[in-house]
Amino acid sequence: MIAVVTTMTTEVPAPDRVTQEDIEEAARRKELIIRWISRISGYVVVLGLWEWASGAVLEENLLPGPTRVLQTAVELFQDGKVFPAFGASLSRILLGVFLSFIIGSMIGIITQNRWFSGFFKDAITIGLTSPGLIWVLITALVFGNRWFGPILAIILTTFALVSVNVAEGIGSLPKDTLDMARAFKVNLVDRNRHIVIPHLAPYLFTGLRFSFSIGWKVTVLTEIFTASSGIGFELRIAQILFRQDEVLTWILLFFVFALFLEKVVLQAIEDRFFRWRKEIAST
Amino acid sequence: MTAVATKPPSSSSGTAIPPRRPSSAPMRFIKSPRFARAMFLPAVLVFWLISNKLIENSWDFDSSVLATPREVWDFMWAEVTRDTVAPKDLYETFGISLYRLGIGFSISMILGTTIGLGMGLSRAVNAFFHDWVMALLAMPALAWALFLSLIFGFDNKGPIIAVVLAGIPFVIVNVREGVRSTPRDLFDMSNAFGVPSNKRTRHVLLPSLYPFLFASARYALSIGWKGLVIIELFGGQDGAGWTVKFWYDAHRLHGVIGYSMFFVIFALVMENAILEPISRRVFRWRPSLNSPDIVEEEMDALYDVEELNRELDANLPTGSTQET
Repeated sequence: MIAVVTTMTTEVPAPDRVTQEDIEEAARRKELIIRWISRISGYVVVLGLWEWASGAVLEENLLPGPTRVLQTAVELFQDGKVFPAFGASLSRILLGVFLSFIIGSMIGIITQNRWFSGFFKDAITIGLTSPGLIWVLITALVFGNRWFGPILAIILTTFALVSVNVAEGIGSLPKDTLDMARAFKVNLVDRNRHIVIPHLAPYLFTGLRFSFSIGWKVTVLTEIFTASSGIGFELRIAQILFRQDEVLTWILLFFVFALFLEKVVLQAIEDRFFRWRKEIAST
Repeated sequence: MTAVATKPPSSSSGTAIPPRRPSSAPMRFIKSPRFARAMFLPAVLVFWLISNKLIENSWDFDSSVLATPREVWDFMWAEVTRDTVAPKDLYETFGISLYRLGIGFSISMILGTTIGLGMGLSRAVNAFFHDWVMALLAMPALAWALFLSLIFGFDNKGPIIAVVLAGIPFVIVNVREGVRSTPRDLFDMSNAFGVPSNKRTRHVLLPSLYPFLFASARYALSIGWKGLVIIELFGGQDGAGWTVKFWYDAHRLHGVIGYSMFFVIFALVMENAILEPISRRVFRWRPSLNSPDIVEEEMDALYDVEELNRELDANLPTGSTQET
């Protein structure tokens, strides 16, 4: 309303004409209020239901409420269990995702060749569709407690995502720019540095983010079967001891942490990387 | 990296194509992608046997831990012919799992469509559910498996709820996207011509929703299946996941690999023999819409600005829109 008044005083005639912008502005503000009220009520209702259900629907030991989960989280932090476990899991994830990134991109590159594309076609389909659980169990049986069993499982479940993205990126390389570079006798290093890599970067990042989001889930699963440290191991212990509150707390803690890494850290790196190229950073 | 850049962009780019060396028919056959594809399986088998040998030689392994392709094949054949030492044979096992998957899938479709419709039609409802749906979308099936198996024990309830929880966010997000992509002009026109709302739903909303419903059904099935297997593994006494665990606990690698093969075959059959023909049938009249953009993960802002503007335009008082 204030906006309306000021426009009426500053602009000369326009007696009772409310501009399009004002209407949009008002609608937008109303929209924002409705959105936030609904959002907050969503949180209140879900958390409230959860708190009420623990105790009323199921026993509190079976379904610990949000307050209980918070308490347990504080206890776990005070015991100093959280950071070693996170560290162990995270190092596995990083190593696995890194290796799968390299192997996946290599496969993505050589599938530019028609023969290899045919050769790896089924491998990529299998890699994309088979549940991680299969690889986890197989590597667990073969390699037991050795450190590279889990890593291999991560690689096998995530490499195809990277390959598909890399292959797609290479397929859409700007041909005219490459041709021009060749016509002007730009050398190989510069051509790669200034054309190929900048063009591939968004695809690589997408592949990386996808493989991370699958990778951390697989890692936790492998740790349940074969590790003696890490989130999965702690989960397993808590489940064997029937400590539902700890099960829930561990999984939620790690869930939040992984989402933070994926959506905030990786996204920030990506945005920073693409600062010079606004149209990509925004997508 | 270098391999890509050195490779000239294939044909069509002005430069003269060097005359191709005449190659003999068998060479051409060996160089064809189809032959390469056929070579994949033998290559895997050879790789398998060699790595078996390597592992056996490099560590002190009891070679019975490792499985040979032959053993896996024999195991699978025995399972198919119902000759098994597991308490339930292949068909019963998959029957049990399929039953759970079916019930969980139906519930997640019905509930998910309802919530998705609500979220697509009303922005308040959307804001209410949005964050929780996104959280569900990223939640690993493992979390549900551990959690629900402690609550429900070896019941049917746990697996069914796990299937629902794994599949429902995909249904919700896809249906919401479908509602948002319904052609607004058609809605406006049917409004202007006074078409009753039940007819409007049937002829305008539903046809544009179908592709999205299909996409979500596909996703809910495949994700639900993966979730089901994991929860059966941790909190079950029968079903496909439990049976894999049975072979795992018995340290029979050929059992684990063979059963995993059944999973893959099962997924392929479900996709190619059931879903694909149905979708082709349903979309015969509209071939281009067979494969809509599937919304797998949408973690970005609540609304994109462009769409918000469009909706605002539509909702503005009529007088002002006519002016512009």
